[in-house]
Amino acid sequence: MQEEVGGLSSVFSRRILDNGINLYTCSTDKFKTITICAFIHQNLEKSTATKTALLPFVLKRGSLNFPNSRLISRYLEELYGADFGADIIKKGERQIIQFFIEVVNPKYTGAENNIIDEGLRLFKDIILNPLTEGSAFKKDYVEQEKDVLRRIIEALFNDKFNYAIERCFQEMCKGEPFSIYKYGSVTDLSEIGSENLYSFYKTVISSNPMDIFVLGEVDEEQIYVKLNGLFSFERKEKELAKTIMVKEVEQEKFVEEKQDVNQGKLSMGFRTGTRYGDEDFYALMVYNSILGGGPHSKLFQNVREKESLAYYAFSRLEKSKGLMLISCGIDFDKVEKTIDIVKKQIRDIKEGLFSDYEFESSKKSLINSLKEAADSPSMIISLYLDGIINGIEESIEEIIAKVQSVTKEDVVNVAQKIKLDTVYFLNKNSRGESL
Amino acid sequence: MNQIGENLFYQKFDNGLKAFVLPKKNFNKVYAIYSTKYGSIDSEFVVPATGERLKVPEGIAHFLEHKMFEMPYGNVFDKFAELGTSSNAYTNYTSTTYLFSATSAFEENLKLLLEFVETPYFTKESVEKEKGIITQELRMYEDDPEWQVMLNLLRALYHKHPVREDIGGTVDSIQKIDVDTLYKCYNTFYHPSNMVIFVTGAVEPDQVFEIIMEHEEKKNLPPQDEIIRIYPEEPNTVNMPHIDVKLSVSRPLFLLGFKDADVGYDGTELLKKEITLNLLLEVIFGKSSPVYEKLYEEGLIDDRFGFSYEGQRDYGFCTIGGETKDPGKLKDELVNSLNEVKVKGLNEEDFERVKKKFLGDFIQGFDSLEFIANSFVSYYHRNINIFDFPETLKRITFEEANCRLYEFFDFNRMAVSTVYPKEKE
Repeated sequence: MQEEVGGLSSVFSRRILDNGINLYTCSTDKFKTITICAFIHQNLEKSTATKTALLPFVLKRGSLNFPNSRLISRYLEELYGADFGADIIKKGERQIIQFFIEVVNPKYTGAENNIIDEGLRLFKDIILNPLTEGSAFKKDYVEQEKDVLRRIIEALFNDKFNYAIERCFQEMCKGEPFSIYKYGSVTDLSEIGSENLYSFYKTVISSNPMDIFVLGEVDEEQIYVKLNGLFSFERKEKELAKTIMVKEVEQEKFVEEKQDVNQGKLSMGFRTGTRYGDEDFYALMVYNSILGGGPHSKLFQNVREKESLAYYAFSRLEKSKGLMLISCGIDFDKVEKTIDIVKKQIRDIKEGLFSDYEFESSKKSLINSLKEAADSPSMIISLYLDGIINGIEESIEEIIAKVQSVTKEDVVNVAQKIKLDTVYFLNKNSRGESL
Repeated sequence: MNQIGENLFYQKFDNGLKAFVLPKKNFNKVYAIYSTKYGSIDSEFVVPATGERLKVPEGIAHFLEHKMFEMPYGNVFDKFAELGTSSNAYTNYTSTTYLFSATSAFEENLKLLLEFVETPYFTKESVEKEKGIITQELRMYEDDPEWQVMLNLLRALYHKHPVREDIGGTVDSIQKIDVDTLYKCYNTFYHPSNMVIFVTGAVEPDQVFEIIMEHEEKKNLPPQDEIIRIYPEEPNTVNMPHIDVKLSVSRPLFLLGFKDADVGYDGTELLKKEITLNLLLEVIFGKSSPVYEKLYEEGLIDDRFGFSYEGQRDYGFCTIGGETKDPGKLKDELVNSLNEVKVKGLNEEDFERVKKKFLGDFIQGFDSLEFIANSFVSYYHRNINIFDFPETLKRITFEEANCRLYEFFDFNRMAVSTVYPKEKE
């Protein structure tokens, strides 16, 4: 049994709709909005990644009862600016289609109609009643959205910060599904047409695992009845593959790429050998915080404060795949020096060379951000979804308790498993200075 | 308790400092900010103590923000970290704001915030060291095409006003910053009468006021007169009709802007103008507009297309644009649609519907402590009470919006900024 602790309210109760869809509800008056999310899970695979990525783009263009974007936007504006969207998220080797709608609780706007019902009407129509021409999606929408998706995939190039991170993972996980970009690839777009995409949609909707979340001031029983009615369609759920965690590194790689840039971007990818669901995952969270989880961390203190090499220097975990990534923006000629300093920090933690201050600050900082996450509807849902994907359902309070019990020895133990795999450096073109 | 279910508490202290508290009882977190009305545009002023008229290097407000974290005992980040608290700061054109976000030890955290913002401590060595860090920050922005397209638009719109300079300055300008000038800036702009504290989250207002009172009484600072800020005379015309640059991007980025000529006031009137212009932009270019639909279907824009108006007392501008395959065509289409709506006028039904959306969006913002605090302070520095938003929105009439439409979107005050991809080598 789970009890609410203090002001935390990240506890969902789970029910299963008649056709097997999981419904997670959490009734709370903490927020002024009611958030509804649907997640459709998919294996991250080259053959389906681009098609899967295109689905939310096409679906949100229009449905049977809301046939174009303009009508949808007008409808949302009438609902006091309800937020609605559909996108792709990637967690480990899972590609997830996300739909969400967030409506303002009518008690604050003075709205008379039942805003939740009106919101759900659109939400359901977009997911389940797409606009079709025969046995195909509306052709114009598919063609236009293929172009939009192409642009979005290519726009990663503009964002050097994320580009350098994504490229590091791609090089590091070559041959593993994790190297696939969440939006798929431009080359795979050409073979997608309105007909094959529609038949793909029908397979996905009827066989891929689906979770719905509702968070806000609602009657949980009523919401269950409503959603059970709205989402009653035939489905036969397939089982998805589990993300494969590679623990060993055959050979460290160094990859350099050159562009016309003003700052070098260094990314370092590691195999941690630990992922969410493992006993020692909470020790890894503390490890990561000590290494690069904020101003108290070794990377911030040594790369930025002591050596003035960078403005930002941090590490983060990919918790479903068991990876860790370090990122910093530096001068082009400082790459070797920076790598040396980073490696020393990693050696130090491995040898237990971190102070009580570093250890305690790291735990407190982690707990602080977990508690803060409980103040945000989207964070509450995202953290819970991470658990579901990794086969555990735990509340934020439970995560905090486990972080709290991590010892210095646990951190040193988990540190032994961490192996550098790939160093990626975005360098400037040798042709010289840009003007 | 007001319409949106929030209560605001307020206290003014003898030295001129004002503090506001908005309790959110069922939140875990406390988000507190300490903000001064001092940003990158305040680059020329009269030093109150000496009467000296001073022009300072570009980027010094932001530099000062970085250096405020330095204390005689070391770095205040470490003290916050001991409490498990995350602390940070940001500088924009008109203000500098220090903040923390904590889920425990509120009293210690607030005392720490007060203490470090009220303790300037700059040494030659640490100032030199910071130049390396900030150089990397500026380099990062040089590679950020969205930031560059925006900077260039402001350079095109403004002849002289310092809003045309990068908030962080340049790699060259920050080299000129020294300890002495930092102290002069601090002593001018960090007087309590030029500052405000805002706290929201799991707190009791009385407790907050008591902690501040006790702290400020010890300081016993004398009051200070109004700060004299010197801004250059800025013509109403645009500086240049367009600025084009090339960067390492996959597709062009395009931004069109209008320079506001109706400036020189703040308070509720400014709020009204800001909401009206944002309503206009939403009605004309928002997702429910025929213009958006047409541009989208032609492949000229996508969801990343955006627009906004920002109004300060002495300047204001709007921006419209995003990534596009054809900047020239997008510009023509945007200009044509503005011409068309100026001839036909707005549609009243659209106008009322978008007003509803704005009310909902505003209320939605109150689920985020960061939104509440940061917007409150941004309005406060412009003499606006954030809670006047719903009422002001309600009172904006269709006729007023139409008037503003003709007056604001004057093509003589329009400029565009484009970032083109570099040719493949």
